[in-house]
Amino acid sequence: MIHFERFTLPNGLRVLFHKDITTPMAVVNTLYDVGARDEDPSRTGFAHLFEHLMFGGSVNIPNFDGPLQKAGGQNNAFTSNDMTNYYDIIPAENLETALWLESDRMLSLAFTEKSLEVQRSVVIEEFKQRYLNQPYGDMWLEFRPMAYEEHPYRWSTIGKDISHIEEATMEEVKDFFHRYYHPGNAILCISGNFELSYVKDLVTKWYADIPGRTVPKRSLPQEPEQRGYKEKTIERNVPSDAFYLGFKMPGRNARHYHAVDLLSDILGRGKSSRLYKRLKKEKELVSEINAYILGSFDTGLLMISGKPADGVSTEEIEPFIHEIIDELQEKPITEEELEKIVNKVKTTNVFSEQGILPKSIGLSMHELIGDANGINEETAKYEKITPQELQEQAKQVLEKTNCTRLTIKATTNG
Amino acid sequence: MDRLTAPQIHPIKKLQILPPSAYKLPNGGDLFHLSAVEDDATKIDFIFDAGSSKNEKLISRLSGELLFSGTAKKSSDELHESIDRLGGFTNVEISDEEAIVSVLGLRENIIPLIDIVLDGIYDAQFEEREIKQLIASKKQQFQIAMEKVSTLARREFLSNVFPDSPYGQLTDLADFEEIDRENLLTFHRTHYIKGLQKIAVVGNLNDQEISHVIQATKKFDRSEDRPVQQSFNYTPQQIEVEKTGAVQTAIRIGRILFNKQHEDFIDFNVLNTILGGYFGSRLMTSIREEKGYTYGIGSGVAQLKNTGYFFISTEVGEQYKDATIAAIQSEIEQLQHELVSTEELELVRNYITGQLLKNADGPFAQMDRFLSVHKHGKDLSYYNEILTALNKVTPERIRDLAQRYLNWDDLIIIKAG
Repeated sequence: MIHFERFTLPNGLRVLFHKDITTPMAVVNTLYDVGARDEDPSRTGFAHLFEHLMFGGSVNIPNFDGPLQKAGGQNNAFTSNDMTNYYDIIPAENLETALWLESDRMLSLAFTEKSLEVQRSVVIEEFKQRYLNQPYGDMWLEFRPMAYEEHPYRWSTIGKDISHIEEATMEEVKDFFHRYYHPGNAILCISGNFELSYVKDLVTKWYADIPGRTVPKRSLPQEPEQRGYKEKTIERNVPSDAFYLGFKMPGRNARHYHAVDLLSDILGRGKSSRLYKRLKKEKELVSEINAYILGSFDTGLLMISGKPADGVSTEEIEPFIHEIIDELQEKPITEEELEKIVNKVKTTNVFSEQGILPKSIGLSMHELIGDANGINEETAKYEKITPQELQEQAKQVLEKTNCTRLTIKATTNG
Repeated sequence: MDRLTAPQIHPIKKLQILPPSAYKLPNGGDLFHLSAVEDDATKIDFIFDAGSSKNEKLISRLSGELLFSGTAKKSSDELHESIDRLGGFTNVEISDEEAIVSVLGLRENIIPLIDIVLDGIYDAQFEEREIKQLIASKKQQFQIAMEKVSTLARREFLSNVFPDSPYGQLTDLADFEEIDRENLLTFHRTHYIKGLQKIAVVGNLNDQEISHVIQATKKFDRSEDRPVQQSFNYTPQQIEVEKTGAVQTAIRIGRILFNKQHEDFIDFNVLNTILGGYFGSRLMTSIREEKGYTYGIGSGVAQLKNTGYFFISTEVGEQYKDATIAAIQSEIEQLQHELVSTEELELVRNYITGQLLKNADGPFAQMDRFLSVHKHGKDLSYYNEILTALNKVTPERIRDLAQRYLNWDDLIIIKAG
């Protein structure tokens, strides 16, 4: 059980506080309710570019990292399709340094041309390092626009075309900041060995004078129900073929999200999963196979991905995948198998709550999707799932008409 | 509201790392236990003398991966099924020096989990079919890794830093064909069945449960450490590895150095931090934040049993490779010729102290800190030695260390792209 307090400043900033008496460290986690899904289709990659710019100096403080490091702290950030999250880990004595820095960059950035120019170049190198110069690295750049036709999940956080980053102007950057970076669009979570009154005083001191702005209304084009199997084969200079199947599934807050998550575990999490046992160990058709979900807030994807064994074609494998799916649709799983899967989820959840950083990010993320206390209710949601619900969801989600398939064919052999 | 003045920085008063309780195993090895876990999370590491420098790298790595591939009584599927049913997770990590088999689970299940895991390790059969399947997927992973410029640069770097040591030995695709079940079984007998060195337990276990763990290991022997014939000489040189079509070039620069047993280690680590050991380092500032040549660049000291090596590592746009190397050289030479400001040294001092505090936060991290000094024959007082040394280190000392250990002509420089 993770205890927390919650309060809101008049400017709209939502604040969570988690007291942890066991740690000498403090975490300041700031989640902004903006992700790649909020981008203009002709200006993609902005949320992520912005994450870089947030380290390029704020209105009163030329350098973000230096003062934090001088106080013994460190920081990082990540951008997803749904949100942008920044965190600072700092010795508890120096909590105020992190609040000074974070509040100043919420107030306003320095917006220097130099910072934009350099970070643009850094992001282009990141694009090359992670997406172009790795075998299979561009897979999501190909897969997303196939699976999604309307929803902005059709592009990756890096952007759908690197020219969008190359052409970003200072005006656009400023507009983005004013729209999304302000107290009402953020969740601040502080963790450490403090008293609530101390945290309230410090947060009020540093954040209360930041002007509140109108919180942007989100009205994203939702993805229509998929009405048919989609497939595509591309060729790449990689050592072996690879296949990716994506099935549309309910979003993070929808009713059957957790059941579909369990379905992916039954299919392909670990060495006692159905796909692994049948396709890899028994039939020797694949060298690797996995199933997992993306955890998206809106309509998401359950993925099955793998690589065929030497001398096996991807076409030979697919009927066996569908055979396993058919079994899940036709027959409820045993209580025993369900218990096994839920036991693994329980262990995972307990370990994911070790340390104040994961707790702080988890609380913020749950607050964003409705209620920070959701973090304490996750395990119970999995425990309530029945074999019948799993069977129904297998029928709903694991339908061929609901599936997108990408095959990567190797043009060379090593 | 004054936002221009930074809040006062408070020095860190103390660094507290709880020492684990220590027990002896029947084979003379050690068990260390930290119980201060708030919930039911439990992690047990079994540490074997089965690192990749003990034999051919591939034999060591494949043996580790085959540990749960089936016993005389249980097939691989059945073994994994029984671990999963208890909500358990296992992980095998092979480093140069040792193999660590970790078991994670909730306290209520940890005793039966340990029994299954230890039986799986002890009674591993390494059946031909399991070996064949593993080799097939490892070959594929190897081929994929060889497509990455970072892999190519790392291989070239290590084989040149350690030409006469197992640390520099490279695996090639053909080596997979040579793997023989007998070699794997021999390695398993010598380095696992007779190689259990240490156990680290983090979790809220009672005395009875700890006794059970100790008793459960009595089948495992522990032979003395077997030193490997090797010498640590290298030839500084520049090497280019060609990778057609690469849009980035991976760069590795470095040399043989030392580990924490050396008297200069702690202060060199301050120098390394200034150069490339944190986000605000000189290399990050120059090559990422000023020039935008890369997504990231860093440096570090990797510690081995009797030595260590210093490395700088980055991937840069193909067109920036020579400019990057020139910029790295210029940053190093600046450290050799100009004193770092007291301000920068103060910042790095505080940063390292904060890192020490963070890296010792919570029982899981504290066990890691303990093991990393115990491995080199030191105890937890080493961390206070670091704090004392941090307060004493001077700009002159940093410059002297840069002059002694970072001469450009002493470095191996690898470009792969």
